[in-house]
Amino acid sequence: MPSEAFLDIDRVAVRYGSTPVLHDLSLAVGRGELVALLGSSGCGKTTLLRTIAGFLSPTSGRLRIGERDITRLAPDRRDMAMVFQSYALWPHMSVAQNIGYGLKLRRLDRAAIRAKVEDLLAMLGLAGLGERNVTALSGGQRQRVALGRALAVDPEILLLDEPLSNLDARIRQTVRHEIRALQRRLGITAIHVTHDREEAMVMADRIVILDAGRIAQAGPPERIYNQPASPFVADFMGADNSVTLEADLDGASVVIAAGADHAAARLARDLLPTANTLPGQGTFSLRAFFRGEAAALVAADEAVTGDETEALLLTGRVLAVSYPGGVWRHEVAIGERHFLVDDATCHAPGDAVAVRLPARHLFLFPADGTTKPRGG
Amino acid sequence: MKASPFLGPLLVLPALGVILLLFVWPLLYSLVGAFVTGEGWGLGNFAKTVELYRSDILFTFLIVGLSTLLIAVFAVAIGGYLVLGSNPRAQAILRWLYRWPLFIPFIVAGQLMRTFLAKNGLLNGMLVEAGLLTPLQTLSFLDWRGIVIAFVWKQTPFVALLVAGAMAGLDRSMFEAARNLGASRLRILVEIVVPQVMQTLLVGLILSFVIMLSVLSVPLMINAQTPTMITANMAFRINAYGDYGVANALGVISYLMAGAVAWIYLRYAVRERMEQR
Repeated sequence: MPSEAFLDIDRVAVRYGSTPVLHDLSLAVGRGELVALLGSSGCGKTTLLRTIAGFLSPTSGRLRIGERDITRLAPDRRDMAMVFQSYALWPHMSVAQNIGYGLKLRRLDRAAIRAKVEDLLAMLGLAGLGERNVTALSGGQRQRVALGRALAVDPEILLLDEPLSNLDARIRQTVRHEIRALQRRLGITAIHVTHDREEAMVMADRIVILDAGRIAQAGPPERIYNQPASPFVADFMGADNSVTLEADLDGASVVIAAGADHAAARLARDLLPTANTLPGQGTFSLRAFFRGEAAALVAADEAVTGDETEALLLTGRVLAVSYPGGVWRHEVAIGERHFLVDDATCHAPGDAVAVRLPARHLFLFPADGTTKPRGG
Repeated sequence: MKASPFLGPLLVLPALGVILLLFVWPLLYSLVGAFVTGEGWGLGNFAKTVELYRSDILFTFLIVGLSTLLIAVFAVAIGGYLVLGSNPRAQAILRWLYRWPLFIPFIVAGQLMRTFLAKNGLLNGMLVEAGLLTPLQTLSFLDWRGIVIAFVWKQTPFVALLVAGAMAGLDRSMFEAARNLGASRLRILVEIVVPQVMQTLLVGLILSFVIMLSVLSVPLMINAQTPTMITANMAFRINAYGDYGVANALGVISYLMAGAVAWIYLRYAVRERMEQR
């Protein structure tokens, strides 16, 4: 969390007609920070971005840049520039005209505009394409023109609305790094809306996960990934396998009784990433979330004594095996449910196996009503 | 089943026949007729036309040209407000209202304008009631201004309908991108929206130009004086003198005017297509 907020979003609520979209949402963005707003469609991330840009007005709450209240300012008075998902380039203008339009609106003289546009074209790797019609460019080039048009007016804050979602996968990988490097080099503050988890992880200083108009969790990528604050975040960040367990909790550990599909375990609280979300004492029903790649397979007869303090073992049977490359992918039936688990060694279909879930990669949450619905 | 090779042409034949019989034949007939004089082939009809109707030809061109320009301005303004306006209720009302004149025939529009624009008409009545004019100062608008008003009133919805449709098809984030950089609504309309619907606008304007060129009822009803539009002259030559030669020559002149605007459009369309490549 930055010590000094540059863009301060203070209890902002937004509705479409009578439908509330954002509920008293607060967020502080530091100068030069790249914040990714991550969530599934309909979570309010684009609404938040458009509210910041000034295309939507909040029904309550305040937006500030530094000391300046911008809540009611027109979009062009906010020192922000937006890159649109569809790029929104003007097809009747050349590349140079598109990039230079904001400067023309600011009444710069022709020579100054041309010089600035040339600089931007060179910076974005579009040198020599200034006179080209934008309809004659590839997707990646169009994306860079849209970025250039936004950067031309030297905004304080760059708003990116799913800027990479129209690019094919291979180009997306490189453009991610290009945008990130450019943002670092210019020291510009950026807010990036995306539904792509990996894109947010790779690009952002801080990820804000939105769920149904509220912030589900905000923090650096590694914290979001390794310490999800709720079942929703765990599930959204790829820990989408889950099992229900009965456990006795005390101050130092979580004692899981053996069940039909799992062995008994006694896991120390300080090994568990989500220990702070668990109640202090008593017997509870818990839900454990884990990623397929965090699990390992052990043959049922190879279980190590003493391991029950390190990991939870789910017992099951291999249904099918495939080799996607690098590791073997097993479909394992555990109770009624099937999981995909990767492992370096191949276990034959029909083998009794245990899926070993290390405590460090096990996200435990109370299984009661605090569990949020999936999706959203 | 294998279709007979003659089936296709056979199916086209009725349509083709109608076009040839009802359109191409009369067109050629009147074109040729323009060059037939009492003394055989020649340009006599055109000489007479220019001598008698020079000012009417100019009048027609100016009236229709001015109307076309005004239609362009109003149609763009209506379409622009429908896509860029900020008051949804006003937009809904405008969307509902602006199409009405489309369903009113020219002759009814002419009659409406007569009662509205006459010296004792509704418009002057309102101006007098409002205290802006005294009854002695009122003027009849039933001259060239009346024709222009009737034409613009009647044809604007047609062009606005086409243009508003084309504008509605544009990606709205293009307008937002411009607004985000500081463009006013008017600039967005002029610099972002209109250039992208130019083709549609031109098609609508050319169709309007040609339609207005061929309207007889409005000049007859509103402008019973000289100079008048050449459609009225054509009717007069035929009805009063049975003079098909001069009427045909006037017809050729209106083809030429229509052809000229079509040519301007085609040049524009070709240039656009070259730029797209």
